[in-house]
Amino acid sequence: MTMDVVSPETRSIIDLDRALNALRQAPNLRPFSLCIVDFCAAFSAALQRDAQASLFPELKVLGFHLRRAAVTELQRHFEALDSGDCILVPRGLVFHIPPANVDTIFIYSWLLAALTGNRNVIRLSSRESPQISILLRLFAEAARDSHAEDILATTLILRYGHDRAITAAISAAADVRVVWGGDRYVNEIRSIPLAPHAREVTFPDRYSMSVIRASAYLEADARERANLASRFYNDTYWFDQAGCSSPRLLVWIGRPEECTKASQPFIAELEAQIRSREYRLPTGAYLKKLTFACNTIANGGATSWSSPANELCVLSLENLQTLKRDHPGGGLLFEYAAEDLSALVEIIERRDQTLTHFGFEPAELRDLARNLNGKGIDRIVPVGEALNFHRYWDGHDLLQEMTRRVHVRN
Amino acid sequence: MTFEDLLRAPAFSLDQATKRTTLLEELSSLNEWHRERCIPYRRILDRMWPDKAESLDPLPYLPVGIFKSQRLVSVPDEEIAVTLSSSGTTGQEVSRVYLDRTTAHRQTLALGHTMSHLLGTRRLPMVLVDTRSLMKDRSQFSARGAGVLGMMNFGREHFWTLDENMQLDIWGFRRFLARHGDSPFLMFGFTFMVWQYLYRQLQGAAVNLENGILIHSGGWKKLQEEAVDNSEFKRRLREATGLKRVYNFYGMAEQVGSVFLEGDDGYLYTSNFSEVIVRDPVTWREAAPGATGVIQVLSTLPLSYPGHSILTEDLGIVHGADDSTCGRRGTRFSVTGRVPRAELRGCSDTHAFGSHA
Repeated sequence: MTMDVVSPETRSIIDLDRALNALRQAPNLRPFSLCIVDFCAAFSAALQRDAQASLFPELKVLGFHLRRAAVTELQRHFEALDSGDCILVPRGLVFHIPPANVDTIFIYSWLLAALTGNRNVIRLSSRESPQISILLRLFAEAARDSHAEDILATTLILRYGHDRAITAAISAAADVRVVWGGDRYVNEIRSIPLAPHAREVTFPDRYSMSVIRASAYLEADARERANLASRFYNDTYWFDQAGCSSPRLLVWIGRPEECTKASQPFIAELEAQIRSREYRLPTGAYLKKLTFACNTIANGGATSWSSPANELCVLSLENLQTLKRDHPGGGLLFEYAAEDLSALVEIIERRDQTLTHFGFEPAELRDLARNLNGKGIDRIVPVGEALNFHRYWDGHDLLQEMTRRVHVRN
Repeated sequence: MTFEDLLRAPAFSLDQATKRTTLLEELSSLNEWHRERCIPYRRILDRMWPDKAESLDPLPYLPVGIFKSQRLVSVPDEEIAVTLSSSGTTGQEVSRVYLDRTTAHRQTLALGHTMSHLLGTRRLPMVLVDTRSLMKDRSQFSARGAGVLGMMNFGREHFWTLDENMQLDIWGFRRFLARHGDSPFLMFGFTFMVWQYLYRQLQGAAVNLENGILIHSGGWKKLQEEAVDNSEFKRRLREATGLKRVYNFYGMAEQVGSVFLEGDDGYLYTSNFSEVIVRDPVTWREAAPGATGVIQVLSTLPLSYPGHSILTEDLGIVHGADDSTCGRRGTRFSVTGRVPRAELRGCSDTHAFGSHA
């Protein structure tokens, strides 16, 4: 067993049993106790003023979610869950296994568990990234600044490779295990037993798409169009379109001629965003994408292709049924035109997570969710909010996942 | 010029203008040939390359990776004589190429034609830097097996230098040299095998290979880790064994027979049957001479599968054409490395448990 303790204090090797024991002995914090709220505020401030952090938009966004106002808002939602004869209490020890390559998720995952009073073990992979280093540095700084000894005592951040024995030992001690990652990875972790009472929340491979009403786009003025492209860009390119929530399919809704008319300027605007933000795709990623596109076309899975830049390839679908959900990332959009939102209902499956939208009435979107009736889709959010973290994720309410209800009857 | 004309012309004798005109005709007709016979290829052509090309640059090409995921065949299944497979660098997906007798024959003829430039027409005694056990199953060939088998045609009295554990048969080798070492003999092996199993085991063995002609191929990745490039490779071999004539060639399983053979000046040259285009990795147009880009390989040989125009994942530079100092015509180029594998971020692509993080 080799691992590094990243927080609290850096020692090279620890006795895992002793560390887990210490975690059990740590103060038992109530949900939204003052010290965690203060710590979040300090962490947020540190993220917003740090020069290095400002280089990474995703860290800025994280800082925004940690503000005192944002946390207090969450607290209000949490308190609303208390129904009088049920008292919400922390589940205990939450074991977080974040994905190896979306750097901010471990903090989001930790946040909801820590706010609700849980103790936390976070496993970081041995892969290093500037974002993770910055987060760890600021985490320690914020703890120092806000005198958050209790937070340090209830949070153990470990870095270790794929060591099944370590994962098994922590799993045995955990009340909740949160696993983010590809399907294969989730299944691997799942084969490691948890305590009988413990539960698991998994975030496996997902697929996301976007839907735009062609007439609404055509009516939009130049500023609005540029703004939409900018938001679509953020959703798509922040994580090289490899994030689960990044759109990979764009469906235009409207009459065929409207859809064609809307698509052209939209793609041009998106390309302009790519250029102005100086997004560059490595040649290897482009070749992977080209291979994927050729393969899709060879299989009859797309009817046309255009690639105005290495960073943006568009494959048109003749019908949605031919859509395969494997994807190379790096800026490849499947495009389809349908007369009506109901076309989506046909093809949505459980794997589908986020649907971003532009140009629809709230009632239409609610109807869509009802008509889907559980087939798939966990989030229907405006274009630009695909990557926004929320307590509701993948169909779970994370505030509730991290707490247990004690039923009290007089 | 027909294939037969290209065979009749001496190797490396075609000037660039003739070559490019010939290739444009040949490759355009190959596009049509494969379009009619291979449905997946037809879809790619119709949907990605609708315009007719008036020069080599805009001719359609397939990314080499597609031979890993797509079964591309232009002959009825019963005519497939050999299926070549190569693992490439990722190790997981396998590239598959389907050869009928005609294509295999064209490959053999073209390879022989190109090699005759170095070897003349008589067969020389031959050393194979590999193991005999490579030849076990001839219907399902690895690219390594196919490469060795293809080269065996140019020699006689073959001597396999390695046993199945990659140990050098030094006494067998000495016996071979005692019989044939005083006049020219041919040696062939993959670059890495030559380095790892021949050169290393021969160091200090005092064998004399000064009459040898070594032809080798297969990538520099592992040697680069030891900072050994082509000239260092040649220098060290010469120092250890007296071997003076060492020629690398660039080629791939997806275009067997269509090899780019190193000249005495250390550059690679296109053969009568092949061409390279180095493409700018942003515009994807043909890059200017001297600029590094992604190598596209063109070959007139493949009839049973649409592999006549392939965008590789190798980087290279075209230095010139018809301007060699060693008496060859054709495009003069070098391979400088591989396009780095791209690791995109994202949550759906987490490293699998048990693999390397």
